[in-house]
Amino acid sequence: MTTMASHAPPSPDPEEEELDTEIASIRAEIQNLQKHKRILTSSLLATDPIQKLLREQPQPPTTNPTDPLTTISPLVHAAGAHTSSNHHRIAFGATAFPFKDPSPTDNGATLLGVRIDVCARNGRFAKPYYVILQKERSRAGPGSGGASSEVLKVYRHTVPSFISIAKLESVYLLRSGVTRNNGDGDGGGSSGEDEDVEPAKPWKKGGNSARKQDLRGFVRELRRELVAWHMRVDAVEFLREKLGLVGEGGGPLPFDVSPDRDTGIVSLAAVAIEARYVRVEWVDGRVGRFKLSNTGVVERAVVIGDQGRDKKVEDAITGGGGRVETVLDRLRVEVLSGSPGL
Amino acid sequence: MARPKTVRAPTTASLPNNLRIPSSTPSLTKSLGKLSRQALLDLAFTWLDDRNVASFPPYLQTNDDGPDDDDALPYPAGKTIEEVRQVYEDLQDRKGAKRELIERILEGDWRHGITLRQLAMADLRYMDDHPASLRWTALELSRIDTKRKNSKGLPPADWSGSVPRMQAATFVQSLQREISPLVKAHYHLAHSATLPLTFLRIFVVDSPYQSPRQAAEIFTDSSRVIYVAFPDSCPYVYTSIAVSTGSKSAPSASSVATDTRTLQRLVRDSIPKALSRPQERFSLQATSLAAKNLPTLLALRGSGRSTASNGAFSIFADAATEGSPLDPRPSNTVSPEEHIRASHSSPTEGKENTNGPATKRRSSGIDTAPLSPDLKKRCLAIHSRFGTLGSSLAPALLDRLDIRLLDKPGSSDEQYDDDGDDSTFTPPALSLTFSGSDVIGGIRKLAELGIVDPERMPSWMTGEEGVSVATVRRGKRLQKDI
Repeated sequence: MTTMASHAPPSPDPEEEELDTEIASIRAEIQNLQKHKRILTSSLLATDPIQKLLREQPQPPTTNPTDPLTTISPLVHAAGAHTSSNHHRIAFGATAFPFKDPSPTDNGATLLGVRIDVCARNGRFAKPYYVILQKERSRAGPGSGGASSEVLKVYRHTVPSFISIAKLESVYLLRSGVTRNNGDGDGGGSSGEDEDVEPAKPWKKGGNSARKQDLRGFVRELRRELVAWHMRVDAVEFLREKLGLVGEGGGPLPFDVSPDRDTGIVSLAAVAIEARYVRVEWVDGRVGRFKLSNTGVVERAVVIGDQGRDKKVEDAITGGGGRVETVLDRLRVEVLSGSPGL
Repeated sequence: MARPKTVRAPTTASLPNNLRIPSSTPSLTKSLGKLSRQALLDLAFTWLDDRNVASFPPYLQTNDDGPDDDDALPYPAGKTIEEVRQVYEDLQDRKGAKRELIERILEGDWRHGITLRQLAMADLRYMDDHPASLRWTALELSRIDTKRKNSKGLPPADWSGSVPRMQAATFVQSLQREISPLVKAHYHLAHSATLPLTFLRIFVVDSPYQSPRQAAEIFTDSSRVIYVAFPDSCPYVYTSIAVSTGSKSAPSASSVATDTRTLQRLVRDSIPKALSRPQERFSLQATSLAAKNLPTLLALRGSGRSTASNGAFSIFADAATEGSPLDPRPSNTVSPEEHIRASHSSPTEGKENTNGPATKRRSSGIDTAPLSPDLKKRCLAIHSRFGTLGSSLAPALLDRLDIRLLDKPGSSDEQYDDDGDDSTFTPPALSLTFSGSDVIGGIRKLAELGIVDPERMPSWMTGEEGVSVATVRRGKRLQKDI
């Protein structure tokens, strides 16, 4: 078809064009169906009954090649392994994996990768975040008497840069050379939760106690920060949806929106990608800005109109527990109670 | 008419927004001529918008104006703003030359002069349309931490404090306070329409007077303009001026601040000071990256995922190998394209995805079915070395890559065990400069053609470091340039 089209004169046959679009749409449908089929087959292979069936016959005594179980067993195994790693990713949110840098100058050292999964509001998972850690040999400090030990260092990561990896690293993954006592930060993290990283960290056990690197604490704080960011973004999106500022497809509406009937808000948006601050505009020209905390509480709010600051609205935004989800309800109540502004 | 005849006295105020450049200035035609016709029309509509028209009043026919030479000019002045607006709407509807439009603006509706702000808006519009028109240097804002010694073992609750909270107006005010004793400047601050950036355009003049007496040409002199771009939510700053951070040690007290380079340096040095607050001081540090393309800088020194993982690690930035934990298909059976395209809902990614369709990735290799084992191996090696770089969604195009090699020639074989004699022997440095539209993509192409061995090449060739200037020893970039 394409070759024909290129030879054809600039105005191709309308019939031919119609056929072309039809073919394209059928191909797209075939692709969709194939994708669907693959999802179904892998889901089927990963289901409990099939996995159980396989486990019941650990070593099939018959080497009969026609036995369907032997032929599909690698597939079932792969599906089982994948499901269990998925379960870990969903349940724990942070998983570790080894990674080998293909660069020839890297002495073939294995890097430690940490994958962090964050679930967003719409039930989907965001792109996983990765931190690749490098094991570095170092002359350890006073505790181990000059013997070399391995310390971890962040090598590469995909964390957005408004979360300061360097700061986290300087607290939790302290290397010798940086002399800073960090005892109490360490104690709670390494003894407590088991949720963060799979426990394969032999280099941690032998370290000296004074400045032990705390990978769990590092990952825990990093994940907390990432989740908080996603929750802030989701909260802003939620408010926008409630105000009717988001179109059907999730994008902004193409036309000018009419102000929200009850609150008179014409625009509400996060100030930057970090979504720490939210900017609000009212129909009467008042402009406000409030700050979100990591826990979803409105920490501070400023509303400025023509006659200076509007303290009443500010109080309504921060008051009543300050949850960001109920900001609009509080504003509505405030308006109904008779604000002079509207 | 253009310059008010007032008493000239040296002040420390900034150049006013409404300082008019005479429309007869020939270079004005040139600087407006850079823009496309549509861009000019958009600008005119912005100027005539209800909210802005007070700042950019067009020349209107008034009664008290008296019978002057209006009839001699080809464009009669409108009577109301509406009338002027209508003229441009008509111009939009019919096709015409750009030249005609520029003449209409300069000789017709703004015949009394184009203000500095209008010129700045025109320049920024050009920047939006041509993101590769200037060479940008990325600088990192780092906090000078004086309190570090005192705060003992107290893990800070806030891990995101490295980005200074910038309020545009306050920043410009403090910048003005910093540089006003030295240079006279005009500031224009605007958020980019296409990229997550805030531009600050600073125009500097070395005169203390409110309305400088220099020739009007000076206002369109592009060497007097400094652009600073602040990407959203990340501790970097891009400047459009050449940077030599080490030059502070050599004091330039001797030179009188007259040439444009000195003026620019003064401005640049005061940016971190203007961003600083009491107890929270910042300094600018070089990040060895300069590129012509703003999207490149955003990819390599922006707030996104790819800032700290490039080259072989770009598979992580693009999440190209593993999917969402809800995907029942084993990862190795799904193509990387699908992983990247899968509707992950990352807040940053939402904007970047508009950059282009993902279908153009993987231009070569994998899908051409009959491959010899050798080729297949090379293909795999290329994919593992370059990751998704050079074919990524938001390609980071380096237009220039400067590498200084500190290795002894011929020492590549025993490069891991000659630690000892290096300290006494100063090796000859070898400098390599690659330039082109896409250097890393070019090296990838070379590897695909079999000219570069993808398994043995050092990692700087894969763009892993995300820099445009590097000093390399044994295939590894040295952190401090020697």
